Amino acid sequence: MDEYQTEDETAFVVEESVEAAIGGNAYQHSRVNQWTTSVVEQCLSQLSKLGKPFKYIVTCIIMQKNGAGLQTASACFWDNTTDGSCAVRWENKSMYCIVNVFGLSI
Amino acid sequence: MEEYSSGDEAVFSADDATISVKECIEGVIGGTDYNQSKVNQWTATIVEHSLTHLVKQGRPFKYIVNCTIMQKSGAGLHTANSCYWDTATDGSCTVRWENRTIYCVVSVFAVAVTL
Repeated sequence: MDEYQTEDETAFVVEESVEAAIGGNAYQHSRVNQWTTSVVEQCLSQLSKLGKPFKYIVTCIIMQKNGAGLQTASACFWDNTTDGSCAVRWENKSMYCIVNVFGLSI
Repeated sequence: MEEYSSGDEAVFSADDATISVKECIEGVIGGTDYNQSKVNQWTATIVEHSLTHLVKQGRPFKYIVNCTIMQKSGAGLHTANSCYWDTATDGSCTVRWENRTIYCVVSVFAVAVTL
């Protein structure tokens, strides 16, 4: 079984999932709850389909474009040789979407 | 959620983590207003301090601490997490904090290590 998963592979899977879930939509307060859920579920199911020996944590932030400042940071205590993360930033005219994927090897 | 015995070290305690993260946040940004030039430093400090406290507990876990700080300006913000892990041993907790000008959301994920 291939034990490695590159950042690029992960980023590609995530970008596709985000496009499929919210691509082409404008920010709508009533739907954003459903969108974040659908983005994380899509990403997670595509990642688990890769069949690699990893546990995954996927987080998604959707923010309306309104001039506000947003900052996110993560710190991780894990095995540097086997575990990793990747962040994907996506945007359209009315919103920003940030997805973080953390993969911990089993 | 089931109650675990206090002597069981291999189970993540969301309550303990919540308390320690709240203290970290208060210590770093309690009483300050949103400041664009400092926010980078704040998020880094919050995640580092939270992680250090968690690791000091000496439990057999790998940790991920995520912090988001947003200026209060009427924009909508939504976050979601999804995890593919062993639900018997792994866990997470999320702490939401705010003051007059800042929203702060910190998530802690703990994944059990099999030694």
